[in-house]
Amino acid sequence: MIVELIYTLRRNRGQIFGWSLGLVLYSALMSSMYSDIALIDFDAFLGYYPEDMLAFFGESFSAINSPHGYLDLYFFGYMTIIVGIFSVGAGAKLIVKDEEDGLLDLILAYPKSRSAVFWGRVFGYILTVMSILIVAWLSWAIPSGSSGLNLTAGELLKPFWGLLGQLLLFGSFALLLSMLLPAARIASMITGGLLVGNYLLIGLANINQDLKSIVEYTPLHIYQGGYAILGINWDNLMIVLGGVLLFLLLAWWRFLLRDLRVAGEGGWKLMENFSLRKKK
Amino acid sequence: MSDYAITIAGLEKYYGSFKALYGVNLNVNRGEILGFLGPNGAGKTTTIRCILDQIRPQKGTIQVFGINPQVNPSLVHEFTGYLPGELRLEDNFRVDQQLKYFSKLRGNQFDWSYVEELAHRLNLDLIRSIKNLSSGNKQKVGLVQALMHKPDLLLLDEPTAGLDPLMQQEVYKLLREAQSEGATVFFSSHIISEVEALAERVAIIRGGKIVKESTPELLTEMAIRRVKIRFLEPIQEDLFNAIEGVTLVSSRNGLEVTIQVEGDLDRLIKTLASYPVKDLVTASRSLEDIFLKYYESDPGEVT
Repeated sequence: MIVELIYTLRRNRGQIFGWSLGLVLYSALMSSMYSDIALIDFDAFLGYYPEDMLAFFGESFSAINSPHGYLDLYFFGYMTIIVGIFSVGAGAKLIVKDEEDGLLDLILAYPKSRSAVFWGRVFGYILTVMSILIVAWLSWAIPSGSSGLNLTAGELLKPFWGLLGQLLLFGSFALLLSMLLPAARIASMITGGLLVGNYLLIGLANINQDLKSIVEYTPLHIYQGGYAILGINWDNLMIVLGGVLLFLLLAWWRFLLRDLRVAGEGGWKLMENFSLRKKK
Repeated sequence: MSDYAITIAGLEKYYGSFKALYGVNLNVNRGEILGFLGPNGAGKTTTIRCILDQIRPQKGTIQVFGINPQVNPSLVHEFTGYLPGELRLEDNFRVDQQLKYFSKLRGNQFDWSYVEELAHRLNLDLIRSIKNLSSGNKQKVGLVQALMHKPDLLLLDEPTAGLDPLMQQEVYKLLREAQSEGATVFFSSHIISEVEALAERVAIIRGGKIVKESTPELLTEMAIRRVKIRFLEPIQEDLFNAIEGVTLVSSRNGLEVTIQVEGDLDRLIKTLASYPVKDLVTASRSLEDIFLKYYESDPGEVT
């Protein structure tokens, strides 16, 4: 399992570096602007915005000159989508990309169980996402005093738990779909669509009350974003992490029971994918 | 322990509604080199993937050294070296990094100097990047990873694909050496010359069924060969019909005759002794003839 974990981290090192660098630059830019924004009288300023637009972004718009509102609007609100795209892609490709390329054939001919390969890669993927978020956390925490946010490292860490939960939830769902659907890119496309759809639905539900009943059952509805600085909702976080665990267990179960695909094999024969291999 | 390295009985495999294997029965003796011969899509790779438990058959049983790979795949993989037919490697690695990764998957339980020896013999540069390798050099990486732990069983899906003739000879040498050290070699191929050069026994698979199992020598004995005879004076063509196993193919005024002979030439030579023969040319028999005989009416491709 350790071999596969290191292998996954090694393969993702370019992604870790690239995403971390991007987040460091973005966080540096945004944290340097906070001290100026905090001085602006936003009540008068917001009066010029259309009501629907203010409603779409929710309460964080009106709290923009507070640390939690600023972080929610300019960082945590977007990061579910931005880092989420990476997380979904990485989750969908975690096992199936090698299978589609024909490399998994060879790896699984070695004396390593499918479980060891699966969990080694899953932990490698989780560490990859965590590494990116740790760099992002540090890039907000280190200049926190000088930027005027004046949040401790511990306070700044709180919203990252919720973000990590959401990224892993969508990533693990993509992994599960990749085990059921014929190609990693289809799993990635569907999960990415659900993620973006959920994000838009949250905003639209602030405008159209009829959508509230649907939104209540979506993962991003229980995402706290920057507001977790004021206190983590542990119940919601546990629900999200429970969902991650469920998706991972289902994906693992599916991986144990199904035939390895040959490179290029596949098609929209979804029902056939549900047929289980007979255990002797 | 079983007397056989591999025992396959009644193996059936479906891909959805498509039947790929129709009850494959095959025994591979310990320490032998068995060539698994068949055209593309005959079911060779499907059989090998079932042996490794990468796919599960709907019917039938497999034993590898007496072990059911479905019950204990890791144990089977421990003493098996495998080369897939479509070898893919990690492009971002160097050759040595890729081989070290494979070595770690085996728990680093072997001598790295043997890897260097294999690389030297196959003329493979260990510090080159995988992405810059030709398909032939990638195949060498595949061969090194299959051989590096000196396995008891080698499962090789088209082992010399992409290699030049010199390297093919070196691979044959390596496989014979592995056999002399006690390894069983099970290799699939659609290259008849390769099977002739290497295999002690041949199993021919067609449309998901084993249609023939024999030694290459016995198979070639059975092969039909063509004989061209030139006579000093015209002869009666129907004399050939009287010889068992001989069929007339063409004749030019009874002076130049082409015939097909099944089995040995003894009766033909004895019959020709009483005729004025100017010249006789016989095409060398090859496994290709028998192979084509089994495939001339191939019902269709199998995955």
